[in-house]
Amino acid sequence: MQMAWKEVKKSKMKFLILGSIIFLVSFLTFIISGLANGLSEDNAALIKNVPNGQFYLNEDAKQTYNLSKIDIDQQDKLLADYKGATAMSIQMGFVNDTDDKQHSVAFVTSTDSELFPNVKDNEVVLDASLKDDGIKVGDILTNNQFSGEFKVVGFAEKQTYSHAPVAFISMKNYQEIYRVMEMQTVFIPGSDSPDSIKGLESFNNKEFLNTIPSYGAEQMSLNMIIWFLVVISGMLFAIFFYMMNVQKIGLYGILKAIGVKTISLFSMMWYQMLLITAVSLVLSVGLSQVFSMVAPAGMPFSLPIETSLLLSGVFLVIGFIGATISGFQIKKVEPLQAIQQGEM
Amino acid sequence: MAIFTIDDVEKTFKSGDVSEKILKGVDLDLNEGEITALVGPSGSGKSTILTIAAGLQKATGGQVLFEGKDMTQMSQEEIRKIRSSEFGFVFQSSHLVPFLTVEDQLLLMLDVAETKLNKKQQKQEVSKVLDLVGMSHRKDAYPSSLSGGEKQRVAIARAIIHQPKMLFADEPTASLDSKRSKEVMEIIRNLTKTLKITTLMVTHDEDMLPYADRIVTMKDGLIE
Repeated sequence: MQMAWKEVKKSKMKFLILGSIIFLVSFLTFIISGLANGLSEDNAALIKNVPNGQFYLNEDAKQTYNLSKIDIDQQDKLLADYKGATAMSIQMGFVNDTDDKQHSVAFVTSTDSELFPNVKDNEVVLDASLKDDGIKVGDILTNNQFSGEFKVVGFAEKQTYSHAPVAFISMKNYQEIYRVMEMQTVFIPGSDSPDSIKGLESFNNKEFLNTIPSYGAEQMSLNMIIWFLVVISGMLFAIFFYMMNVQKIGLYGILKAIGVKTISLFSMMWYQMLLITAVSLVLSVGLSQVFSMVAPAGMPFSLPIETSLLLSGVFLVIGFIGATISGFQIKKVEPLQAIQQGEM
Repeated sequence: MAIFTIDDVEKTFKSGDVSEKILKGVDLDLNEGEITALVGPSGSGKSTILTIAAGLQKATGGQVLFEGKDMTQMSQEEIRKIRSSEFGFVFQSSHLVPFLTVEDQLLLMLDVAETKLNKKQQKQEVSKVLDLVGMSHRKDAYPSSLSGGEKQRVAIARAIIHQPKMLFADEPTASLDSKRSKEVMEIIRNLTKTLKITTLMVTHDEDMLPYADRIVTMKDGLIE
């Protein structure tokens, strides 16, 4: 270990360059991960906030909740048979404020449930982000497909859907706006192994998220970037240590000749890799957390420390694998070959 | 009394279908505390026999006995242990570790040899050996700031600090001028005599031969 540290001390610039690259790559990964998380929250906080359970859609809906309609008799039976079950619908729409300014919202309605705010007819509970648009409790909102008016009775924190703030309204008002009597889905909380219900298809929370248009595609592309960056960092380690090992073949040979164990040479490389990665990650985790605090309010950014730690762990594992693969040269080095190479 | 015996050692190098016998049955006894100089023309096999004796490559046939134990029958790990604790090496180039100071080079060797000295004793030992090679004043220097002669002195100090029983020196003065060569050979001779280290040295410099107790000449893979 001492030898590894002494090399880092003596060759500061070399290790500083690798450390900077790892810092930049990991920082970029954390930022993109924060954006992916933020967009995911923005797209589906409404669903993410409900406890684990099963969403049932009509089989004929082809796994698209927009097309699903649950028969009213079947809905009543399910609500009676399953404790905590809720029938609900979500549709995108608009509300107009007192200044006639239009706001895009996701109208959500449900049967009586602890999961969503219970609102009376002609009342609305909005996502708190609409406060920034100047809407306050007591304001009157309208909708061109609704004969009455909505009175804002409260705000709910982090209730967004398909990148729009949620507007919780009563079932009667919802039925009037969308000219439909049936609900789209029935949610049954807590059932890990879904009961098979005739004519309905079940989805757990994660599967249901993928029925949201654009959710899967958005998350997949962001996650692909994240894992691509993680793999790049692993390759960077492999390439950097490969180059360094090529330069040090002679040294390794001499050290082997005087009796240094091969595992000690590997340990030296692992120690250096661990040191560089740990320092780079501490800096990038710290900076990304600071960014998380100062990010503009409109930017969908969410980076829980757990996610940063998980990604840091992945970086360490990838770095270890990259360095170890490049270290196979060390195993192959023959002392004699090094001696014949001359001065290092 | 022979501490090291090379008995009918052969070495054949193969490249594809072509094979060349470099050593054709070399016999050599090395006596304790004696400096043996191996001389001979290029290609005679003197460096090959030195590297086989030092456990750096395997013989194709014959025996290499160190203190009565046949090294040709030992595992790589057993040979590594012998190299680290019983052998010392000086090469044509000093082969110092570029990022270690002079003092650290020697401390590293004490660690590798797994000596039972504590940190304080290790430092004292390093100081003593650096005095012997006249390098105490450069103990904090890195190899890049040393002259060729200084580097070779440090290499000698590294080779003997763990008090090995054998010293293998492959043309230790080849990269030095005649004045520095004589200084280095005097150090090798004084140290090996003081510490009773058996030395096998390959050289092509006739000026170095007076420092040897015995001169062995090789030709065409055999001792003359």
